[in-house]
Amino acid sequence: MKTFLFILIVVSSGVAAGLIHGSMNLIFVEPSLDQAIGIENQHLFASGEEKDTPEFWIKYDGYRTWQKSGQVLAGGILGISIGALFGIVFALSRNSLPGKTDVKKALVLAGIMWLTVYFIPFLKYPANPPTVGDPETVVLRGILYLSFIAISGFGAVGFYKLSQKLKTKKLVAIIGYAAFIGIVFVVMPENPDQITAPVDLVNNFRIMSAFTVSLYWLSLGIILGSLWHHYKPHKEIIPFN
Amino acid sequence: MSQSRQISVSKNGIPITAIVALAIIFVAGLFVVGFDQGHIFSLVYGDEAFQDLYIHELTHDMRHAAGFPCH
Ligand SMILES: [Zn+2]
Repeated sequence: MKTFLFILIVVSSGVAAGLIHGSMNLIFVEPSLDQAIGIENQHLFASGEEKDTPEFWIKYDGYRTWQKSGQVLAGGILGISIGALFGIVFALSRNSLPGKTDVKKALVLAGIMWLTVYFIPFLKYPANPPTVGDPETVVLRGILYLSFIAISGFGAVGFYKLSQKLKTKKLVAIIGYAAFIGIVFVVMPENPDQITAPVDLVNNFRIMSAFTVSLYWLSLGIILGSLWHHYKPHKEIIPFN
Repeated sequence: MSQSRQISVSKNGIPITAIVALAIIFVAGLFVVGFDQGHIFSLVYGDEAFQDLYIHELTHDMRHAAGFPCH
C-alpha cells in the first residue's frame, strides 16, 4: 500500500465530490433556503427586531452572498471529511466488495454507505430548512442524529462481520440489519421540534437536499473508484528498493 | 527505503498511520461543518468567537442542506 498516494486519492476525490455537492446546492437548495430565511426576516420585521429598510436589504444581500460562498467551501470540507471515512472503509473492504473493477466496487460501497449512514437516518430525522428548528433543542437533535447514524453504520458492519463468521449468505446479514435498524427506527425518539414553516417549502427543501447529497455519494464513488483504478495505491512498494 | 518495512499495517495491509490520519480528517471536517458553534475559533479568539459564530455562519447553508440539525 502506497500510503501517501492512498491519502492523496482519498482527499482529492472527497474534495472534488464535495465541491460538486456545494455547487449543486447553490442551484437546487439555495432557493428554498432563501425562501425560509425570507420568512425569518418577516418575523424580525413583525417583532420589531429589524426594520424593513433599504439598508437592511443591502446588508442582508451582502451577508447572504458571503454565506453562499461558504456553501461551496463547506461542501469541500464536508466532502473531504465524509470522503476520508469512505476511503478507510473502501481500503479495508475492497477485497470483499462485489464488482470486477474498482469503479464498480467503489460504487457498490458508496451505495451501501449512502443507504446506511445517510438515507435511512434521513428518513428518521429529515433535513429541515431554517425557521423550523428550536435553538433550545439543537444539542439534543445533534445527539439523536449522530447516534442514529452511528448505530446504523456500526450495525451494518456488525451484521456483515457476523455473517462472515457464521459463514452464512450475505442475504442473512442484510435481513438481520434490516430487522435491527427497523427496531431502532421505531424505538428512537422523534425530532422534538414542531414544523411551523409551510409544508411545501419544507418538502421541497428535503427533496432537493436528499437529491444533492445523493449526487455527492455517486460522484464520490465514481471519482474515488476511477482514481484508484488508475493509480492502484494498493500495490505493494517493492521492499529494499 | 528499509524504513518502509517498519510501517505497521493492519491485517488488510492498510498502514495504520493512513487510517488514523483519515479518521482525524473525518472527525475534524464533520465537526466544522456539522456542529461547530464557535468552539474552534475560541481557541484563538477566546469567548468572543462564541458570539461571532464565524464558522457556523460560513458553513450554515451546507449544514442545513446536508441534513445536520440547526436552527
Ligand atoms: Zn440554521
